[in-house]
Amino acid sequence: MPKMTIAEALRQAIREEMQRDERVFCIGEDIGVEGGFGGAFTVTLGLSQEFGHDRIIDTPISEAAIAGMAVGAAIAGMRPIADVQYGDFLFNMMDQLANQAAKLRYMSGGTLSVPMVMRAPVGTTGRGAQHAQSLEAFFTHVPGLKVVCPATAYDAKGLLKSAVRDDNPVLVFEHKLLYGSKGPRSEKGAISPVGEVPEEEYLVPIGKGIIRRPGKDVTIVANLLMMYRALAAAETLADHPIDVEVIDPRSLVPLDKDLILESVSKTGRLVIVEEDNLTNGWGAEVAALVSDKAFWWLDAPIKRVAAPDVPPPFAPVLEGEYVPSEQKIVDAVLSMF
Amino acid sequence: MSLNAAQSTEVKTSSLPSEVQMLSLYRTMYLIRRFEETANELYMQGKIPSTLHLYIGQEAVATGVSANLRQDDYVLSTHRPHGHSLSKGVSPRVIMAELFGKATGACKGKGGSMHVGDMSVGVLPAIAIVGGNVPIAAGAALAFKMQKSGRIAVSFFGEGATNEGVWHESLNAAAIWNLPVLFVCENNLYGASTPFKTVFKIESIAQRAGAYGMPGIVVDGNDVLAVYQVAKEAVDRARSGNGPTLIECMTYRLCGHSRSDPRTYRTREEEDAWKLKDPLPNFRQYLLSNHYANEDQIKVIEQEVERSIQDAIEYAEASPVPRPEDVYTDVFKE
Amino acid sequence: MPIDILVPPLSQTMDTLVLVEWVKKVGDPVTKGETLFTVETDKATLEVEAPGTGVLRTILAKPGDEIKVKSVIGSIAEPGEVLQGTVAAVSPSPAEKSQSLGIAVSSSQPVITTIGSGGSSLPVERPGRIFASPRARRLAGQQGISLTELQSSGTGPQRAIIERDVKAYLEQQSASPRVTPVARRMAEMAGVDLRTVVPAKAGTITKADVQASLQQLGPSVSVPASEVAQGTSWKVKLTPTRKTIARRMLESHRTVAPVTYMSEVDATRLTKLRKRILRELREGADRPTITDFLVRITCLVLAQHPELNATFDGETLELHESVHMALAVDTPRGLLAPVIRNAERKGLAELAHLRSDLVDRAVKGTITPQELSDGTFTITNLGTLGIDHFTPIINTPQVAILGVGRIREVPAVKKGKIRIRQVMGLAVTCDHRIIDGAPAARFLKDICTLVERPDMIWL
Repeated sequence: MPKMTIAEALRQAIREEMQRDERVFCIGEDIGVEGGFGGAFTVTLGLSQEFGHDRIIDTPISEAAIAGMAVGAAIAGMRPIADVQYGDFLFNMMDQLANQAAKLRYMSGGTLSVPMVMRAPVGTTGRGAQHAQSLEAFFTHVPGLKVVCPATAYDAKGLLKSAVRDDNPVLVFEHKLLYGSKGPRSEKGAISPVGEVPEEEYLVPIGKGIIRRPGKDVTIVANLLMMYRALAAAETLADHPIDVEVIDPRSLVPLDKDLILESVSKTGRLVIVEEDNLTNGWGAEVAALVSDKAFWWLDAPIKRVAAPDVPPPFAPVLEGEYVPSEQKIVDAVLSMF
Repeated sequence: MSLNAAQSTEVKTSSLPSEVQMLSLYRTMYLIRRFEETANELYMQGKIPSTLHLYIGQEAVATGVSANLRQDDYVLSTHRPHGHSLSKGVSPRVIMAELFGKATGACKGKGGSMHVGDMSVGVLPAIAIVGGNVPIAAGAALAFKMQKSGRIAVSFFGEGATNEGVWHESLNAAAIWNLPVLFVCENNLYGASTPFKTVFKIESIAQRAGAYGMPGIVVDGNDVLAVYQVAKEAVDRARSGNGPTLIECMTYRLCGHSRSDPRTYRTREEEDAWKLKDPLPNFRQYLLSNHYANEDQIKVIEQEVERSIQDAIEYAEASPVPRPEDVYTDVFKE
Repeated sequence: MPIDILVPPLSQTMDTLVLVEWVKKVGDPVTKGETLFTVETDKATLEVEAPGTGVLRTILAKPGDEIKVKSVIGSIAEPGEVLQGTVAAVSPSPAEKSQSLGIAVSSSQPVITTIGSGGSSLPVERPGRIFASPRARRLAGQQGISLTELQSSGTGPQRAIIERDVKAYLEQQSASPRVTPVARRMAEMAGVDLRTVVPAKAGTITKADVQASLQQLGPSVSVPASEVAQGTSWKVKLTPTRKTIARRMLESHRTVAPVTYMSEVDATRLTKLRKRILRELREGADRPTITDFLVRITCLVLAQHPELNATFDGETLELHESVHMALAVDTPRGLLAPVIRNAERKGLAELAHLRSDLVDRAVKGTITPQELSDGTFTITNLGTLGIDHFTPIINTPQVAILGVGRIREVPAVKKGKIRIRQVMGLAVTCDHRIIDGAPAARFLKDICTLVERPDMIWL
């Protein structure tokens, strides 16, 4: 079975979907330029040679138009994969995503649908506050949008394919340090997980999480980069001994609630780890859900480990304090025993 | 002065609509006028649960443009959408039922006045975010181009929308990619209450077309035939693959912005002056003077319109309200 | 209006009871008719039902207290009622809460934070509030454990009781430690519940452990530490049962004119008969004992001697048609005498069954007062404890009592030959105010006849 980085897996997903369905096309900045990067993180590298510039469309720096045109093209029968270079720029697209894409089906009484995908890289990488946000929470709160966040190569390909085939607007959040981009686009401090990706057709369903590490003493729900830190923390905690169950939700909307509730009813303890700012993050929603539905199974209060309520800082020492570390996760778990 | 602006005040005989089309143009304008006036009355009687943004005075723009469109062309409208919808063939019944908030309305009661539309005749649910529909129209045009279907998209917006950032992004994109789209600006001189001159340094919107490299035309928005001809040219241009056009229609809203607008930002003199240019009686007179119809024939048309509006009201009143559990449906397509 | 919780008059003989435990705690919902607390009388431990429906508001007596009958020991508030003096339902703000729990709260610092179980509609001030996680409560509820037993033994965050604490408690319960005989006797005498004694050395409860726990019983027990440490005598508070026994024995001693008549009887044939009968028993049936046989025999004999099946209050002698046979039973709390009603109508198998059940419940402490009263004759058997002869004391207001000694093998001369026979000592004490010597002797003789020649039971 071939092994791929996440960037390669995403590229393979796009390639396969574009081969399979001529309605699929990509639209974004710097994604198809000859001699270019293939997008900021190399995901679309080489695709314009394969499919031409009419299907890998380079745009002006016009985020709102990119989003709005994806909406319009989707309504008119295409299946666009749009992207922003940095998740932070999603804020430029907010009207088109939250007021149009999310609401048009409902406002039309169900007579139209908006089958579009919007991909966005998130995570702090020493570039300063406006190229660093993890902003899943802004979109998990909008009814009408689906939100996924694949953290492995297998999930990246499977979830992106599912997103393209979904008849609704789907935001796909990717982490800058997990892409495994190479060459001039490689990231300092990247984890770049490489994983086995089947060549044959497969999909990862939207709305299903996965247990990365089974355990019985405490449940940690963590996405993207934080999932890897949770796994590292679990290894450290195993010596205590505390047996940690790590869940990768993979989709935030719809959320695999049953998986999480079942896990907490088994372990009695829950920690949510996100790179997002603490207050009103998606972790708060999971905590509220579990408090409601699994209250009688809890043996300790629910904890969230997240970035503090500040904009993402630049200096490495500050960034180290901002992004939840393995130690902070370990400390949070220990405080529950 | 603009680079590509053209003033179109003459009527070119060769591109005029046929006789039948002339009457159809009148019928459409009359339908829009009477529908809006009736909706206003119903609102005053408390039968409509939300405010309305009425199209009274601007009928010639929607009518003149839509007369050139195919059923599968897309029209994208604004918070003032009744006129665009009716001109493209949306049934008065479903619009009225939507105003009443009934389950049989254009949006099953989930949209309201500002979101009426009907995908079966190419009218998307109207977008109430100013400027919001412009990139969507461009995106649809991109799809039509990719599909090689010959379909085009039309974006209607007021002059205020042309100050939204996304308007500029969309025109630029449409121009660079030669998209089959019409950008129709209804310049009624007021963005809600804000007068044109306070928010534009330029004389006319059409000048902006040059900034993006597409033709821009100013036309008398109250002359339905002029609008018709200019639109025809733009539609042909788009359908033949020659890209977008910006059309600026000078017109006037004879009513308030919404139902809660006392219009104290305009003078009664200005309103009276524009009343003289009211497209409806003027075109009626034109038809009579040029022997396209006599008084009786016009009255037949008008009565038929009145009946269809009455029918729409009866339909709306008899329709059921949505069930409370319907609030949960139509978010996602399963 | 709050509902008063009164101490019901559950004992005919005493006007105070001892509160054993509250089944509900303050703040719990209470339904009329469900068990609210348990008390110990001179005879038994009994459950008391709640007098109304609402929320248990106040508790005025604690386990171990002596409570006067008909006094108020607590109150139940109607649902929604707020008693004077309690704080209205506002949960503390997170800052207050965290401060009281010792967590620093700072708006931009916390990377780790908690979502606690939210504010409730109960008053902030609640006596006896126990902090236990929902999971722990769930397990405790399933296992029928009151969390008050775990109070201050929580090991979870903020010392809350969590699941593992409940599990540890359960394990401790099932693995009951060994108790030395001295410790057990001391605990019995002092009325100490061995389950509450924490051994210094896990696994075995010794005399020292019980002494230490006696010290903790508080002002009702005065045990100078020095004396305890040197292992000398200690003062012990009498249990209600002991007090009752003391009073009644003295009463009997003072009022009755007792004379004891003794015989030794050849019980060989009886024991053989018993063996044969045991072989005929259904599986699972209670095995008749010698006492059961004696009950049957005594009932037959009393039919011929009615004046011994009577009660005398000092003025009036009441003869009884039925024999309500009381049996002396040694229980951890002291001597009890459960009664087999209408024993003359019961066959041997049924007597065995009833006797077994009554003794079992008397020992466990679940016997009811009715089952301990209205006996007309008593049999007391110390034979299994090795006693040959003794002078049983009359169980007033009865007038006679049969005492049974042990069965032992002795050589006897029968028809000029030495045979081994089973002999048993029997003693009857009669109240000479009512029963003279001759009638008493005749009674005993008739008992002995049926014991020696059990075939005559058929006649």
